[in-house]
Amino acid sequence: MDARRNPEGMSPAEQAVAQERIALAKAGSAEAWGELYGQYAPAIFRFCRRAMPTREDAEDATMDIFIKVRQKLSQYDATRPFSAWLYTVAANHCWDLLRRRKLRQDLETGEVENMPLEHPDPGQLERLIERRTGQEMRRALDKLPARSRMALVLRYYAEMSYDDIAATLGVRRTFVGVVLLRARHQLREILEGQGGARLAAGGAT
Amino acid sequence: MIHFDEMACLLYLEGQLDPQRSRELSAHIKECALCRDLLHALQHETILLSSALTEDNESMPARLASERARSLPSWVWTLAFGAFAAGAYWFWTDGIAPWFNQLSSAGFGGTDMFSMIVFSGAFWEGWSDMIDAIQIGALILAVIVAIGWIRRRLRGPVAIAVIMAALLFALALPQQAGAAEVRRGRSIQIPAGEVIHNDLVVTGPSVRIDGTVEGDVIAFTRSLTVTGHVTGDVIAFAGETMIDGTVDGNVRVFTRSVILQGAIEKNVTAFANSIDLVSKANVGGGMIVFAGEADLDGKMQRDLLGLIGRTDLEGVIGGQTWIRGGSLTVASGADLRGPATFEGAQQPVVESGAKLASPIRMELTQEMQRTRRSTARVLFRAILGYGGALVVGVLLLVIFPGFFRATLREAGSIGLPIGVGALALITGAFLLVLGVLLLIVGIGAGVAGVMAYAPILYVAQVFVGTWLGNLIMGQPPEVTSAVVARMAVGLLIIRVAGLIPFLGGLVWLAVFLWGTGAVLLGFHRMSRAESAPTAPLPA
Repeated sequence: MDARRNPEGMSPAEQAVAQERIALAKAGSAEAWGELYGQYAPAIFRFCRRAMPTREDAEDATMDIFIKVRQKLSQYDATRPFSAWLYTVAANHCWDLLRRRKLRQDLETGEVENMPLEHPDPGQLERLIERRTGQEMRRALDKLPARSRMALVLRYYAEMSYDDIAATLGVRRTFVGVVLLRARHQLREILEGQGGARLAAGGAT
Repeated sequence: MIHFDEMACLLYLEGQLDPQRSRELSAHIKECALCRDLLHALQHETILLSSALTEDNESMPARLASERARSLPSWVWTLAFGAFAAGAYWFWTDGIAPWFNQLSSAGFGGTDMFSMIVFSGAFWEGWSDMIDAIQIGALILAVIVAIGWIRRRLRGPVAIAVIMAALLFALALPQQAGAAEVRRGRSIQIPAGEVIHNDLVVTGPSVRIDGTVEGDVIAFTRSLTVTGHVTGDVIAFAGETMIDGTVDGNVRVFTRSVILQGAIEKNVTAFANSIDLVSKANVGGGMIVFAGEADLDGKMQRDLLGLIGRTDLEGVIGGQTWIRGGSLTVASGADLRGPATFEGAQQPVVESGAKLASPIRMELTQEMQRTRRSTARVLFRAILGYGGALVVGVLLLVIFPGFFRATLREAGSIGLPIGVGALALITGAFLLVLGVLLLIVGIGAGVAGVMAYAPILYVAQVFVGTWLGNLIMGQPPEVTSAVVARMAVGLLIIRVAGLIPFLGGLVWLAVFLWGTGAVLLGFHRMSRAESAPTAPLPA
């Protein structure tokens, strides 16, 4: 597991320290809370940065999430991994914001069922994604509709379960896979556009 | 052969396929290269997605670095308040109090106080010492705000170009100021026979010009006497002004009393307690007079426009006359060659022998009528002011939503923005005094400073109002109309509270300090947010 996304997934000793911190913060220790914040804030900020459209939004969301977390800390069930709980709070907050903002531009709903179930050409897919840099991928991700991007971030950044994703996005569990696959298709379309532009640019020089 | 579709492959990879289908797929891919390749491609895509999302390509913004800094900003505003209190105390003990003593011992006081404070600031020399100490801080603050603004508005080469241009401009300014001859001292005299081939700027308790100035005279003084010749304008902020010589340009005075008995080629503008245009005086142009009392016995070739408490006319007016005020007497020696209008509560007195081109048109402003109209006008203006503020608020919300939210958030922490607002007000006031009074950065910079400050002062109410609205009606959902509704309610409360005598003034002061602080902090936050790249950087 990646330490950047999940700071507690390191060694058992460190995990014990983290658990103690959480317990202390729960009991009201400002110092423990400050340490907890220092430990998780970068990961949550990056999560918000991926999920929200602008950096400003991400900063605001990060602050608000930690205010919520501090208030709700007593509700945290210590048997669950802390980061998973944290990501649930963060995901709900971000998705709430995005949904309210997009109230008028309806959230590309209804099309979920009309997924093409064709068998894509694996070679073509490999060629499309080979030698893609992280930056190219992020640029393409930024162009995705809110729900598609959110779904990918929840799954591949926060590593949330299908059940949690379904609860956060408010879709039936059986549709989570559809949402994810659809998001990947949209991403590939964007990458194709980019690739075309890159080839054209390459041809021009 | 029946292949598995992409959906099934993805669910298989993610461990979400039911066990039965999962086993079928495992068996299938052993034989089917196509499905195996698809599975690999999908997996490759997953890895790519995952690494792109988790890549640490951006550092944490500074304002998120520590939770403590956000939850405990108290030391910041304690410091701001402390500095403000110290500044105010210092300003009072070193600035106002000795000045009061000096004035009362000099026989000034009562109603003249205000005009003394406003018009003869240069009279007290302690100003410069006080200002020297604080000017650096004030300039730094101004520069920080300016840089923040530039960084937010402009980027890259444009920002550099603007800063370079501003630097060049700043370098050019002192040269310009240096081009004028500046004199300071207790008693300044330009003796008869001395010629200054330049603009002359003088500050000091007493200024006397008997010689010739080939340029403008700008004076900040308690007493200004000009008996010589000035080829440009005379601009004076003075306790008493006497012009007995020749001025080829305009005379513009802000003064307690002014006596004009020389020749002035162009126009006269005077804000004064009393103005005396002696019979031998001649004004080549017209006069605009705001005064308590005016004795106008001399000649003016063009129009007279006056807001004057008591007017005595005994001279010649070549153009139109329009006076609004308490009383008007046209003495026997007067000669009004154009149409004359008087607006006032009393009939003008016209002595026999006075020459009038036509009878004086009288517009009676009866007390009753005036009070009723002014009440209606106050109400009208209050409504207009409220509407205007609301419109500006809505525009801000729509055009700069990010800035609006940032500023509103800053307003929510109350103490910090009030402290910052107070600091900005104090430094701004000193900067203005510095610019206008001592001419170190020039009048232009002072005016520019005020023009930058005024809009901030104006929008202050919008943010305090919205904050107040939120307090009463609860945090709004992220819908513009809900925010506007809260803004409307909050602004209405501020506006109504502001109408209360005395208390209203305090309300406005609090709103101004609070709001300007929030706006400055909002600027600051936005400049920081914007200075970071919005597009992800390569890792």
